[in-house]
Amino acid sequence: MTPETLAPLAFAVPLAVAALCAAIGPFVPRRVLDALAIATGLFCTVACALLAQAATRGTIVHWFGGWTPRHGIALGIAFTVDPAGGALAAFAAFLSTAALLFAWTYYDESGPPFPVLMLTFMSALIGFFLTGDLFNMFVFFELMGVAAYALTAYRTEDESAVLGAFAFGVLNSVGAFLVLLGIALVYGRTGALNMAQISHALGTHADALIVLAFAFVAAGLLVKAALAPFHFWLADAHAVAPTPLCVLFSGIMVQAGLYAVARVYWSVFSGALGGHEQTLRTVLIVFGLVTAFTGAFMCFGQRHFKRLLAFSTIAHTGILVCAFALLSAHGVAGMIVYVLGHGLTKGGLFMCSGILLNRLGTVDVEQLRGKLSGEWVGIVAIALGALALAGMPPFGTFLGSSLIEHAAEDVGLGWLPWVLLIAAALTGGSVLNALGRMAFGWGPPPDPEAKTPQFESPEANQGDKGFPLMMYACAAFLIVCACAIGLIPRAASAALGAGERFVDRAGQLAIVLKETPGAPLALPPAEPITSSLASGLLAAVLAVAFAALALFAHRLPSGADATKVLETMLKPLRRIHDGVVTDYVAWLAAGTAALGTALAAWMR
Amino acid sequence: MIGFLAFAVAAWVFVVGLYGMATSRNLIHLILCLSVTQSSTYVLILEVGYRLGATAPVFSDVLPGVRAVDPVVDALTLTDIVVGATATALLLAFALRVHKKRQTLDPEALRPMQG
Repeated sequence: MTPETLAPLAFAVPLAVAALCAAIGPFVPRRVLDALAIATGLFCTVACALLAQAATRGTIVHWFGGWTPRHGIALGIAFTVDPAGGALAAFAAFLSTAALLFAWTYYDESGPPFPVLMLTFMSALIGFFLTGDLFNMFVFFELMGVAAYALTAYRTEDESAVLGAFAFGVLNSVGAFLVLLGIALVYGRTGALNMAQISHALGTHADALIVLAFAFVAAGLLVKAALAPFHFWLADAHAVAPTPLCVLFSGIMVQAGLYAVARVYWSVFSGALGGHEQTLRTVLIVFGLVTAFTGAFMCFGQRHFKRLLAFSTIAHTGILVCAFALLSAHGVAGMIVYVLGHGLTKGGLFMCSGILLNRLGTVDVEQLRGKLSGEWVGIVAIALGALALAGMPPFGTFLGSSLIEHAAEDVGLGWLPWVLLIAAALTGGSVLNALGRMAFGWGPPPDPEAKTPQFESPEANQGDKGFPLMMYACAAFLIVCACAIGLIPRAASAALGAGERFVDRAGQLAIVLKETPGAPLALPPAEPITSSLASGLLAAVLAVAFAALALFAHRLPSGADATKVLETMLKPLRRIHDGVVTDYVAWLAAGTAALGTALAAWMR
Repeated sequence: MIGFLAFAVAAWVFVVGLYGMATSRNLIHLILCLSVTQSSTYVLILEVGYRLGATAPVFSDVLPGVRAVDPVVDALTLTDIVVGATATALLLAFALRVHKKRQTLDPEALRPMQG
């Protein structure tokens, strides 16, 4: 069996198993379905890893139905697997498997639709990462979306979950329409849907229509990626979604949206828009920084632990958007490593929050004050996760930040990593702040006048059932992996090689349209990460300092007043996150208009 | 001329649908506005494949070489409709569920979470 045949199997097998599970679900015991789903997840992980490995010897192109290009014109639908896409697909399958394992003991009774929807979701994610066809990408975008809405509202008796899923569904549908409008404009111009074919047809000249098409596609995909001001759905949906699903949402789905923007830019538009790099970079960095700090400030002081983690995901999206905005191979390399490191860390943290919900019945930090004292495994896991979020060495996030730092210096934006470091440290600090309250009862008591927010009902069975070994094992394994990624020798140079391949437009055109055999991956030497050791440690120290300030500032003279002033300053920001879906739609419209106008005005 | 008109119609329908969603006071109304927004994508996709004076791309009863509209856009629109129907059905089910619990569909009254 050649690696080429694995490309369609990696997304078709989970779909087929999902259909099988739906058919036999009512007649077989739950554990059979779970085991089937986990086995499928493992198969996909291995298949995608093999694909990614094979792709290092040359990008793999699979034409469905044998519709290969004739005379250099591609009509068929193709999967184009490069090392970056293959690795992210493998990562998506890996996280799905971990989430399914976590759900094994998390739910007493989950019902057959759960594995069916999880497998569908995983299949869509894998297809999304592997496809080389613009419309095919849209279809996977929608398939992923529909499975995700249904999973978010999985506990239909919980109305906040249904409302969160509603906002998620409405905003992502509008995002999908934007993508489709962009695709229609591109198709109208080029008559092609294959990315390489479009790129070839667009040539190197940009006009208003192409800029508009790119703005639509990018805005639509960035709704999924939760860029401010498209991010409102994320916090509402993540806070209420079943915990195993949050692992996938925060770990890979949101980042998939950004990956798609990068993919579409480099594989489709980079030729035509290449002359406007500076403009695009400025616009994206502005949006990215706004996102990073919106997320970081909203994250700080959240009482709902899952919502806190959701806002931290928004902050990290901002960081990733800035990494992409560097528009260089090294920026892409940093982005991919950061996605892996962050996804593992955030997955582990969400699993810890799930364990809290499972054992103590709530994730409200104030209600959990001091209640975590015996759970040493949980405390250590959350503390390590918090430091990893900040970007402490040797976690994967640190390696990613280090690559982003060098990439930013290459394009003359040496200040950018330092600003991003503050946002990352704020998210790490807010997790530590919550942990200090939950584990040791530190920090000022909550304002009694403040309205107690409405909290979800416990997702799963409660009660003392002994030490949740399986769930802690999953969480700890993900955190350990997050650390291991940062320690793999040559990980940085492999990422740089994958980044070079990712941005190589001419190479992709040759491989896809002319069917020239691909070349093995070059492994450019990476700068030693020791050069960013200082900034990594600084981020960790800052995170601890932020947490200490939040926990103990009220004991300092005039510390309480300072806290109040800060709270008042953040009030407007909190107020716009109001949970009203119509407002979110208005923000989406405004954001799209802003992005489109900024690009159109400067790219003429 | 027809090209410009179709673009204008698509843009208008899209904006009107978005406006309806942003000002909606009822979740069912909001979902219908979402469908209106989606209709703009049908108009645009069909327009880019349309050719004046051409026939439908069904070649069983016409001679080869006759001008036909682009069959790809038909497939795209059909996929779009299927996907849209799925999402709409799911959202309507959510709205029903919410109404059963809270006896209201006003998004302002349904704030699940704040801050």
